[in-house]
Amino acid sequence: MRTIIFATAIRYLTPLFLIFSLYILLRGHNHPGGGFIGGLIGSIAFVFHVLAHGSDRTVNAYFRVKLYSKGKPDDDTPPEHMWRLLSANTWNRLPNYPQPEWRYHIVRLRPAYVMAIGLFLAASSGLLGLFQGMPFMTSWWMEAEIPIIGALGTPLLFDAGVYLLVLGMVLKMIFTMSKE
Amino acid sequence: MPSDLLLVLPLLLPLYGALLCLAFWQREQWQTVMAGIFQVAWLVAGMILLQRVLEAEVISTQVGNWPAPFGITLAADVLSALILVTAGVIGLAVYLFSLQGLDITRRRFGYYPLLLLLQMGVAGVCLTGDLFNLYVWFELLLICCFALLSLGGTKGQLEGTLKYVTINFLASGLLLTGIGIMYSLYGSLNLAELAMLVRQPEHPNLPLLSMVSVFFLAGFGIKAAIFPLFFWLPASYHTPPVAISAFIAGLLTKVGIYTLIRLFTLLFISDLGFMLPLMVVLAALTMLIGVIGAAAQTDFKKILSFHIISQIGYMLMGLAIYTPLALAGSVFFIVHNILVKTNLFLISGIVAQRYRTSSLKRLGGVYLQQPMLSVLFILSALSLAGTPPSSGFWGKLMLARAGLEAGEYVLVGVSLFVSIITLFSMTKIWNEVFWKPRPVSVRKGSLVTPVNPLRLWQLYLPVTMLLGVILLIGVYARPLVRISEQAAERLLHIEPYTDTVLSNKAVK
Repeated sequence: MRTIIFATAIRYLTPLFLIFSLYILLRGHNHPGGGFIGGLIGSIAFVFHVLAHGSDRTVNAYFRVKLYSKGKPDDDTPPEHMWRLLSANTWNRLPNYPQPEWRYHIVRLRPAYVMAIGLFLAASSGLLGLFQGMPFMTSWWMEAEIPIIGALGTPLLFDAGVYLLVLGMVLKMIFTMSKE
Repeated sequence: MPSDLLLVLPLLLPLYGALLCLAFWQREQWQTVMAGIFQVAWLVAGMILLQRVLEAEVISTQVGNWPAPFGITLAADVLSALILVTAGVIGLAVYLFSLQGLDITRRRFGYYPLLLLLQMGVAGVCLTGDLFNLYVWFELLLICCFALLSLGGTKGQLEGTLKYVTINFLASGLLLTGIGIMYSLYGSLNLAELAMLVRQPEHPNLPLLSMVSVFFLAGFGIKAAIFPLFFWLPASYHTPPVAISAFIAGLLTKVGIYTLIRLFTLLFISDLGFMLPLMVVLAALTMLIGVIGAAAQTDFKKILSFHIISQIGYMLMGLAIYTPLALAGSVFFIVHNILVKTNLFLISGIVAQRYRTSSLKRLGGVYLQQPMLSVLFILSALSLAGTPPSSGFWGKLMLARAGLEAGEYVLVGVSLFVSIITLFSMTKIWNEVFWKPRPVSVRKGSLVTPVNPLRLWQLYLPVTMLLGVILLIGVYARPLVRISEQAAERLLHIEPYTDTVLSNKAVK
């Protein structure tokens, strides 16, 4: 299925899917939507990306970060050094070929970690009620209403957890299946 | 501790344990440490809960702070807390066993998180106060069970798991149908509210209730391996490694029986005149078929698997007789059996690991090699058969006495006869595995895993621990008998349960 049209379209569609999935997640409070369906829509973005480019490139593009670091030169103060590291990793990003005095670490966000974070958020959203001396999962809402996002509260945290859990689950499946 | 916290701890601890294991997916040692900490914490949480319900009879909480018949109810009485503590004890034992008794690959591929999630499912079944949530927790428990049974993916395991999955899907379908009909008849799924509704003699749908109860009897009968729905059990329980099968074989069928006891004392009380004689027949047949099946087997683990079925018959017998003493006997027997059965499975695992087979024909002479293990086995086996100072004896004594008082002479006769056959079957294992000399044909050229004393003691540790608990229950039975009687009392007088659950108002 690696056609140019598909591959090019996916480059633009992936962010669109992700934004739409976030919209679905946020409108889930009073309308159809929510964490589960949002997570599924969000994972469609990555499913298509895997179909178009193969799972290795998806992992490289979205789930793997190369972090550069090097020992502190003697004439740099610690803040200066931190600043240099930050800039080398973000706006003045080093090009992707071996650099002499730089070491690099590859940090990979595995689907299992996404699932673990999601589960943790969902389970922990209920703890707030316990800490206030009320039953588990008693909801708590912020008074103020924020534009776009709507009301903030622990149920939204729960939904975000479900979103990540579903996303991680589908990613795990698609990565495993694309390797066969 | 507030009951809000006490009731969610047994659910949250395994969940957090599992997700921490997930976060350390690449590091098997860290997973092991995490799982150990959370196993101990789970056991302690169960014990605190038990101690609390012994004083307060029933405690409940409303998850999400929605008032009682509408919200998600969690409630615990003595029976559920007792099962939780027992599950905690064998959970810890199986965890300790798995440190040396399970291969590294299976541990690396999620054994610990799956075991913890399975325990969360068991806790959910025990603590839930809602019929539909009961089904959901059961599904969670079964899904973890499927994953555990097939973990490793050997041919035999996949075959066993397939049988298990198929039959359990059928059972779940029956349960879901039953729950649907229940909801259409009474318009509620909260156990406490349903218990009030089914006790209204003028309710128009009362005659239809026995139809629902048949769905539940069949559904949980499959999950608890009651005659004639037991055939999946010996086909699947001996296939996975012992660190997996010991926990599943020890606990899961008893969770099915627990649910039957709970539902038939709380909800389906209107047509007991029909259901109880049916259960008497089922209990007798379950006991008999179980031991007869065991007598025909020549594999250590398969014999034990068939004995699970026969022991299920005893637990059902208590429910079928339906007097306070009988139910107490049933509760006592469940606790005793979970411990003993797990222990015997662990012992079979130690033998199978050393001699690389569990077939009786190829084993022998273990007594000379491992006298300590032989002592551990014979004590557990006598306890299973129910010889006097052991824990099995007290359970059977209570059941037999209750049966004689209720006039169920045939059932008591069958149960005593089955005890003798159980003893025969245990003697068979003793003779073949431990006593007889090792077959000459096998002795030559067959592999025996070399013994590392430290490793062996690590395997003996959980078995000794469990045996200690079993002997304690046997020699000093009074506290557990008292607790079982209290549990039976609560089962037959449900007012505290319904009052506690339904009086839950939203906390402001």
